[in-house]
Amino acid sequence: MPKITIDNQEIECCNGVPVLQAALEAGRDIPHYCYHPGLSVVASCRLCLMEMMMPNPKTQELQWSPKLVPSCQTPVRDGMVVRFDSERVRQSQATCMEFFLLNHPLDCPVCDQAGECHLQDYSFKFGKPESRMVDQKLVNPKKDIGPNTLLYQDRCVMCTRCVRFTDEISGTHELCMVNRGSRTEIDVFPGRPLDNPLQGNVVDICPVGSLLDKDFLFKRRVWELKGTPSICPGCATGCAIRIDHANDKVYRLKPRFNPKVNQWWMCDEGRFGFKYVHNKKRIRSPLVRRGYETLTPSWEDIPEIVRFRLEEHVREKGAAKVAAVLSPFMACEEAWLLARFVREIAPQSVLAMGPVPMEGEDQFFPVGAKGDAVRFTILKEKCPNRRGVEMVLHAAGGDIVTFEQFTERSGKGDFSAAWIVGGYPKPWVDKNTAKMGANFELLVLQDLFVNELMAGAAIVLPSCAWVEREGSFVNAAGLIQSFERAIDPPDTARRDGQYLYEIAGLPGLYTGERVRERMAEALPAFAKAYAAPELPVHAH
Amino acid sequence: MAWVTINRNEPVVDPKAPPVLGEAVRVKIRSFFDRYETKRAVLLPALHIVQDALGHVPWQAMVEIADLLEIHPSDVIDTISFYTHFWTHPKGEKVITVCRSISCEVMGGAAVLEELKKQLKIDEHETTKDGKYSLVTEECLAGCDNAPCLLINEKLHKHVKPQDVAKLLAEANNDRIAVPRSALFDASTLSFAAASKTNGALLGTTSDVREMREAD
Repeated sequence: MPKITIDNQEIECCNGVPVLQAALEAGRDIPHYCYHPGLSVVASCRLCLMEMMMPNPKTQELQWSPKLVPSCQTPVRDGMVVRFDSERVRQSQATCMEFFLLNHPLDCPVCDQAGECHLQDYSFKFGKPESRMVDQKLVNPKKDIGPNTLLYQDRCVMCTRCVRFTDEISGTHELCMVNRGSRTEIDVFPGRPLDNPLQGNVVDICPVGSLLDKDFLFKRRVWELKGTPSICPGCATGCAIRIDHANDKVYRLKPRFNPKVNQWWMCDEGRFGFKYVHNKKRIRSPLVRRGYETLTPSWEDIPEIVRFRLEEHVREKGAAKVAAVLSPFMACEEAWLLARFVREIAPQSVLAMGPVPMEGEDQFFPVGAKGDAVRFTILKEKCPNRRGVEMVLHAAGGDIVTFEQFTERSGKGDFSAAWIVGGYPKPWVDKNTAKMGANFELLVLQDLFVNELMAGAAIVLPSCAWVEREGSFVNAAGLIQSFERAIDPPDTARRDGQYLYEIAGLPGLYTGERVRERMAEALPAFAKAYAAPELPVHAH
Repeated sequence: MAWVTINRNEPVVDPKAPPVLGEAVRVKIRSFFDRYETKRAVLLPALHIVQDALGHVPWQAMVEIADLLEIHPSDVIDTISFYTHFWTHPKGEKVITVCRSISCEVMGGAAVLEELKKQLKIDEHETTKDGKYSLVTEECLAGCDNAPCLLINEKLHKHVKPQDVAKLLAEANNDRIAVPRSALFDASTLSFAAASKTNGALLGTTSDVREMREAD
C-alpha cells in the first residue's frame, strides 16, 4: 500500500485512489463538489486543488509545483508529498467559493437542502463572509424536470454529478447540460423527463439544493430528522438505507453506502415505498375471539392465551394438525422465534413459506448492461428475506412445504390449526387464500392490514412495518444484514419480535442481537451480521 | 420571489408529425457511420448536414437525429446548445456576424451593429420577417487588422462604416466567396447537393450549399 504525505502527516492509502479520496479517508475535510467515488472524474469544480512536490525539470530539485493540481484527478503514488494547508490553497478555495456564490439566490431559509448543503458548509469553512458581486444576479426559473424531481437552476454549481449519474449508472441519459460557459444549465429534452427507476439518486448526490425531491419538498427541515440505519425491504437486493424520521413519522429514505450490495444508490421503488407504514388501515391491537365474543386483551395476557389455545388444540387434534406459514417479510429472528415456538408446542407441525411476491423482470443498470458492467440491480422478487426464512426453515427441519402445497393440503383438511404471518405491504390474500381461512378451527393471523382472513381468525396479532422492528434480512446474495428500529409502532401495536419473544417464553427484552446469539447455535452464519463500512465523515 | 416553473414534462415534438429529415439527408448521415467507431461520434457531422439542409435544427430534427444515431435527444440538445454555429430556430438566408471584440469596438464596430439593427429592424440573434437576414455577434472574426469587420455568411467584409451598411445589404452577391475550394473539400457533398436539388424541398442557406448547387 502506498504511503503519501499530506500536510507533513504520513498516511497509508489504497492503491490507485485519487489523493482526494485518500485525504477524505484520513479524516480531512477537503472541499469538493464534482468528485464522487461512484462516478467518473471530471475535475471541474476546482475546489479540491492542492500543492504537490515535484522535481524542477532543470535542476531535478524537489519543490512545490508552480500551479495547483486537482487532487481528485491525481492518483496516489508512493512517496508523494502534497499539502492543502497552505495560503495558496486557501486563497484558491475562497476564490472558488466566491464564484460559486456569484449568482446564488441565498434562499437558504426556504431551501430544503439547508442543513445538509455543501454550499453552506464550504462557504462557512472555506469561503469569505461577503460577496463582492455588484451586478444584477442571473435569475433562472425552476424547472419541473420529471415526475419526482424539481430543478432549481440558480442554486446549481454545475458539478454535473447528476448528468454523469444518468450517463454512467442508470444509463438513461435524460439529463444534459445546455448552453455554454457561465450560462450553462442542467436540463432535459422537453417531453423526455427524468423518470428512470433510479432517478431519486440525483437528488442525493446533488451537493447543493439544486435538485430536490418533490415528495419531501417543504415537509421538514433536515436538522429535525433523525437517521436510523436500515435495510430496504422493497426487493431481495437488500440495499442499505437510512430512515430519516421525526416524531414517529418517516419522512424519507436515503441510500447508505454498502460496497457489497448497492454502492451509493437505491431505486425509487424502495425510496418511495415506505408510504404504507403510515396507512390508516393497519391492524393496531391484538384481537381474540372466544365463541361469539371478540376481546382485546392486553399484551401481558397474549403469551398465555396463545400458548394455552395452541396447547389445547394439540391435545385435542394432535401435533401434526398444526401448521405455520412464515412470511418472507419477517426478520430472520422473528421467523426463528415463531418456528421454535410452534415446534415446541407441536413437534410434528408443518412449516410453510408464505407467498413470495414477484413483479415483472429483474432490472439491471446501466440500462442494457450485462455481467461486470452492471452497477445496480432491482430484483423481481419483491420481498427482503426469502432466503433468511428459508435458512430458518431448513434449520428447523421436519415437514417443510411451499405455500402452494400448504394451500392444497389445507384444502384437503390436513390442518386444523394454523399460524399465518402476512406483513406484506400490498394486499396479498387472493380468493383461494381467503377461502382457506374457513378450513381452520384455530387460526392465528399476524398481519399488517385488515384482510379477508381476519373474519375466520381466532387470534389476530398486529404485525409491524420494518421501520418499527429490528432484526436481520438475508438478501438474494446470501448476505446477512441487520436493521434497527427507527420509530414506534402505531397506538397499541407492539413489535413482532417482542411479542414472539414473550410467546416463546424467553427472558428479558427482545433485541435482534440477543436472538441472533441463540440462533447461532444451529445457524452459525448468524453469529455476525454484515455491517457496511462507514463512509469518511467529510465524503459526500 | 414568484413561483415560476418551466414544465419540461410537456413534449415539444408531436410523435405523429411527418419526419422533417428527407431520405437524402438520412443517407448522407448514414454515410458517415463507417468513419467512426461509434454512431454517437457522427453527431457533429449530422448536425452540419441537417443545418445545411433545413437551415436550422428544429426540435423534431433533434429527435430524428437521436433516433438515427441511437442516442438520447438530450445528448443532441447538449451539443447543439454548446455551439453557436447551430440554430434551433429558423435562420435567415444570410447570417450577418458582427465582431464585438476589442479592435472592432475601438474602430466603431458598435455603430455598425446599431445601424444594422436599425435597417434590418431586428435585434441580435433574430431573423428578419422576410427570412432574408439573421444578425448575430461573435467575439472575434480574426480580422483585427481590417477592423471593424463583419461576416455575411462566410464572406468577410472589411473596414465597414455605418454609411456603407445600406449598400452592403442591397448587394445581391454580398456573401460570395472568391477563394477556390481546398483539396480537403469533400467531393461527396456535391452529389448530396444534387440530391437535395432534385428533392426540391430542401432549402439551401449557406454559401456552401449554394456553391455546391452551382458547381453541379
